[in-house]
Amino acid sequence: MLCACVCVALLLSLCACGSDEQGYPEATEKFFVNDFAGVITDTDSDTIYTKGVALNDATTAQAVVVTVDSLEGETASDYALNIGREWGVGTEQDDNGVVILLSVEDREIYIAVGYGLEGALPDSKTGRIIDNYGISHFSDDNFSAGLVNIYNAIVNEIYIEYGMQPSENYIPADLLPDTQDDVESLGTVVISWLVLMVLVVVYVLIFGRRGGLFIFGSPRFFAGNYHHHSGGFGGSFGGGGFGGFRGGGGSFGGGGAGRKF
Amino acid sequence: MKKKGLWIALAIVFVVIVILIGAFSSKYNKFVDMQESVESAQSDVSIYLQRRADLIPNFVETVKAYSLHEQETYTAVTEARSAVTKADSVEEQAQASARLDSAIDIWVNAVTEAYPELKADAQYIALQDELAGSENRIATARNDYNKTAKEYNSAIRKFPSNIVASMFGFEKADYFEADNDAQDVPTVDFS
Repeated sequence: MLCACVCVALLLSLCACGSDEQGYPEATEKFFVNDFAGVITDTDSDTIYTKGVALNDATTAQAVVVTVDSLEGETASDYALNIGREWGVGTEQDDNGVVILLSVEDREIYIAVGYGLEGALPDSKTGRIIDNYGISHFSDDNFSAGLVNIYNAIVNEIYIEYGMQPSENYIPADLLPDTQDDVESLGTVVISWLVLMVLVVVYVLIFGRRGGLFIFGSPRFFAGNYHHHSGGFGGSFGGGGFGGFRGGGGSFGGGGAGRKF
Repeated sequence: MKKKGLWIALAIVFVVIVILIGAFSSKYNKFVDMQESVESAQSDVSIYLQRRADLIPNFVETVKAYSLHEQETYTAVTEARSAVTKADSVEEQAQASARLDSAIDIWVNAVTEAYPELKADAQYIALQDELAGSENRIATARNDYNKTAKEYNSAIRKFPSNIVASMFGFEKADYFEADNDAQDVPTVDFS
């Protein structure tokens, strides 16, 4: 009898398997905005949340913003990937999640893209989105604005992938001109700005002040506009009584891009 | 009376054998499943290694415009690249890809040092992101492989499962050695 007990105990203990996962923060109630570092303004936080909810409703894709004080020695890519997997960002079926992670102390941003969205957001495009929409704000410590701009771009790229209309005034990242002006000579910058001005004037003269998609331009030029137009999607979610959103079991395979700033 | 005792003994032996066969076959099937997961995790790693190897020619085309003089460092890249494609075992593949990592690093460093303007080339940045992403995927696939291999290895080595495992020749899966250099993902630094 004793022997049997020992055997059973042995067998049971064989089934116990240890887990060596590092502890990551739990998702907040707002799920799409997890401002652990406290750098996102209330307005921007609401904007991101509203857009996140609208995206989730329209496409089932989930894009979450996470800010942390420090990565605690982990690489940004691993941290973002693990958060994505642990929270299950995106659906289990489509793995259509995106994690936008910003670490304040490490001065690093990384966007991890779930398996299912690697087509919509290949690494090069993701890097480009950071360069075009985020870096200039992050360098000025304006994390909130940079994150909202990046979020807007990511959300719109996902809408395009799902064959939906992106928000008004959104220019797909593919069509954007490059903004590597920090390494360009001053001359090129001045000339390109002059050319831009001329184009703008011609454009305005021809088409008047109304309508039309603004095709020429540098993203810097648009940066100011971003605060003025509000998504174009959803917006019907009033404050309070949030909750109900959480990960759908999406997984990540290491796709994405990151920058130090 | 004696006969009855014999029957009972036989019945017990029969029941024990049935239980043992049941236990053995369920263990056996579990090992087969685990072995399959290990193999599929390994093929994920191979897929991503191949993905990166495929990116390199594009990268080369872009960089070539700048650097026809960096031939030496580039030869090391092509050699390491073909070694990755030829490798069969996990260990060989790990070694070859570690060599490819360092060869790429050396080459890219040599080229960007000689041609700093390359860092501003949009095509170059895009490819750099793709390469970094590829390396990331490889690292992730390796970690996932190691996790699966570890589960499988400890399952086949623990008592009493190891009896079944050794009877049917389930062999230990190799691990990818943690090569810390290879796991550092190069990020494009604009500061």
